[in-house]
Amino acid sequence: MFAEQSLIAMLVLPVTGAGLSLALARPRDVLAAIVTIALIELVLAFDLGAGVLAGRGNVTAADEWLYVDAFSAFHIVVLALVFALSSAFAAIYFAREVEEGGFCRATARRFGALWLGAQAAMLLVLTSHNLGVMWVGMEATTLLTAFLISLHPTSLSLEAMWKYLIICSIGIAFAFMGTLLAAASIRSGNVAAEALFWTHIAAADTQLDPTLMKLAFVFVLVGYGTKAGLAPIHSWLPDAHSQAPAPVSAMFSGFLLNTALYCIMRFVPPAQHALGRGFANGLLIGFGVLSILVAAGFIVFQRDAKRLLAYHSVEHMGIIALGYGLGPLGAFAALFHTLNHSVCKSLAFFAVGRLGQRFGSHDMHRIAGALRVDRLWGTALLISLLALIGVAPFSIFMSEYQLLRAAIGAGAWLALVLFLAASAVVFVAALRHLIDMAYGSAANTKRLPRDSHLGVPIVAVAAGLLLVLGLWMPRPLLDAIGRAAAIVAG
Amino acid sequence: MIATLSLLNTIQAVGLLSCFALLGTSRIGACIRWLSLQGIVFGLVPLIVHDDGLSLRAVLLSAGNIALKGIVFPWLLLRIRARADFSREVDPFVGYIASILFGVLALGLSVWLGLEMKPALARAPFVMLVSSIFLVLVGVFLIVARKKALMQVIGYLVLENGIFLFGVITVVGTPLLVELGVLLDAFVGVFVMGIAIFHINREFGSMDIDRLTALRG
Repeated sequence: MFAEQSLIAMLVLPVTGAGLSLALARPRDVLAAIVTIALIELVLAFDLGAGVLAGRGNVTAADEWLYVDAFSAFHIVVLALVFALSSAFAAIYFAREVEEGGFCRATARRFGALWLGAQAAMLLVLTSHNLGVMWVGMEATTLLTAFLISLHPTSLSLEAMWKYLIICSIGIAFAFMGTLLAAASIRSGNVAAEALFWTHIAAADTQLDPTLMKLAFVFVLVGYGTKAGLAPIHSWLPDAHSQAPAPVSAMFSGFLLNTALYCIMRFVPPAQHALGRGFANGLLIGFGVLSILVAAGFIVFQRDAKRLLAYHSVEHMGIIALGYGLGPLGAFAALFHTLNHSVCKSLAFFAVGRLGQRFGSHDMHRIAGALRVDRLWGTALLISLLALIGVAPFSIFMSEYQLLRAAIGAGAWLALVLFLAASAVVFVAALRHLIDMAYGSAANTKRLPRDSHLGVPIVAVAAGLLLVLGLWMPRPLLDAIGRAAAIVAG
Repeated sequence: MIATLSLLNTIQAVGLLSCFALLGTSRIGACIRWLSLQGIVFGLVPLIVHDDGLSLRAVLLSAGNIALKGIVFPWLLLRIRARADFSREVDPFVGYIASILFGVLALGLSVWLGLEMKPALARAPFVMLVSSIFLVLVGVFLIVARKKALMQVIGYLVLENGIFLFGVITVVGTPLLVELGVLLDAFVGVFVMGIAIFHINREFGSMDIDRLTALRG
C-alpha cells in the first residue's frame, strides 16, 4: 500500500546488498544475503504491482524520473519472481562448490555484488521514465553480467564472455543511436528534459518526424534486439547461456532477455503514433518468425543441454515478439507468455544445472535416466521441458493457444503457418532429447550432498505456477495483463 | 558563423584523417594515439555547436569527453597493451589496403546517408553529420576486421565517438544526467573490457581473438 516507498526501496535494497556482499566473510553468508534480499524484493514488487492496479494506473517517484505503469509493473513482478527463484537455487547450486572449494570467498563476494548489481540495473531499466536513463541501465546490465558468465574463468567461459561483451556493446550502441534519433524526431516545441520521457514522446500532442522515427525504431529494434536474442543477431546467446553457471543462465534467460524486449516495446507507441500500426508491428512479426525458425533449426542438432535451452530462449523470445506484433490480443498473449516462459525456463536451467553437477557434463548423451538418478530435479526437468514445448495443460500451451487465436484474428496466415511448422519441429526434436535424458539407462553419476530444504519449494512453486496458470487465470492477473497489453498495443 | 564552419571543417578533416590512420596503421600504440587525437577534436564540438551562447552544460560535456576519451582511455589502453601482450601489431583479418578501400567506400556511403537525412535534421551541420556516420561505420569495421582484442576496444570507442557526435549535433535537450550516465557507462565499459582482456591473455597466452573459436553451433 506504500507503492511509492516500495519503488524506491526496490532500487536501493539491491545496491546496498551489493555493497554488503563485498564485506561478508563467508560464502554461505553471501548466498543467504542474496536469498533474503530477493525475497524482500518479491514482497515489494507485489506491493508495487498492487499499488499500480489499485491506483490511477501508475506510480511515480523522484520528480517523475521513476515512473511505473501496468506494463512496467508486470515486468517488475516477473523479474522479482525469477530473481527469488534463481537466488534460492544459487544457494543450492553453489553449496556443493563451497564444499569442493570452487566457490571461495573472493568468488562469492564477486558473485554477490554482480548478481545484486545486475538486479538493480534491470530494475532501473524497468522503472526509469527517461529513455536515456533506461539505456544507461541496459548498458549497465551488460557490464555487470559479463563477469557472471566467467565466474569460473575457463577458456570457454572467457570466450563466451568476450563475445557477449563485444556483441552486446555494439548492439547497445546502436540502441543509443536509435534513442538519439527518436529524440531528434520530436518536432513540437517542447524539447526540455521531459522530451525523452516515454509518456511524453508517445503523447498525442507530440509531433514526430516520420522519417527519423522510422530510422529510430529500426536502430532500437536491432540494438536492443541483439540483447534480447532475436535472430539473426542472437549469436552471443547460446555461448553465454551454456558457459555461465546455471543460476546465471536462469537469470539471463528468465529475465535479462525480457528486459531488452521491454526496451523495444517502449518505442512501439511512439512509432505507432508517427507511422501508424503497420511499420512497427510488421518488423516485430518478421523478427519474431525468423527467430522461431532459426531456433527450430538449431534445436534439432543440439548435443549440449544448456545450448538446447538457450536456443529455446531464442524461439520463445521470437514467439513473444510475434505476439506483440499481432495487435491487442497478441500483446495479451505475449505478456502472459513472458511470465510462463520466465518461470519455465528458470526451472529448466535449475534442473539441467543440478543434473549437470551430478552427471559431470551437460552433454545430452551423458545425461540419461535422470528420473531415477535424481527424483526431484529429474521431475523438474521433465515438467519444465514438457511445458516448454507446449504440452497441455501447462500454461505455455495456453499462451501459445491465445497467440494462435490472435494470429487468426489478425489474419497473419503466413506467420501462423511458419509458427506452427517450427513448433512441430521443436516439439518432436525436443521430445526426443527429453526422453533420452529423463529415461534411458543411467550411467555413472557423482554423489552429491543432499539438497538443502530449499530444493522442494523451488520446484513446487515453479511447477505449480506452470500448472495452475494453465488451468485457471486469477482475476488480478487477468486485469494486470489486460492493462499492460493496452499500453503497448494502443 | 563562417568561423564556426571553418572550425568544423578543420575538425572533420582531422577526424577523417584519424579514421584512415586507424584503418591503415599496423602498430597498436599508434592506433591508441590517433584515437586520443580523435577524442580530443570531437570533444571540442559541443563548444562550437550551440544555439544560444556558451552554456555551462556544453563546457562540462566537452571537458568530460576530452578528459575521458583524449586522456584516460588512451592511458588505460596503453597500460593494457604494456601488461598484456608481446606482439604490438594489430593483426588484421582484412588487410590494410582493403581496409583503406573500405574507408573510401564508407565515406561515400556516409555522404549519401547524410544527404538523405539532411532534410529531417535541418539544424545539424552537414559536415558533422557525415563525420558521425563515418565514425560509426569505421568503428564497426575495426571491431570485426581486427584480430587483437585491444583493437576491438578501440573500434568500440570510435563507434562511441560517432554516436556522441551525432547526439551533440542533433539533440538539443538531452539532460545532463543522461549524458553523464552515458560517459560513465563508456568508462566502466573500457574498464571491464580491459579486465576481460587481462583474463583472456592469462588463459590463452595471447589476446588474439581468432583463438576464441571453441564455441559454435
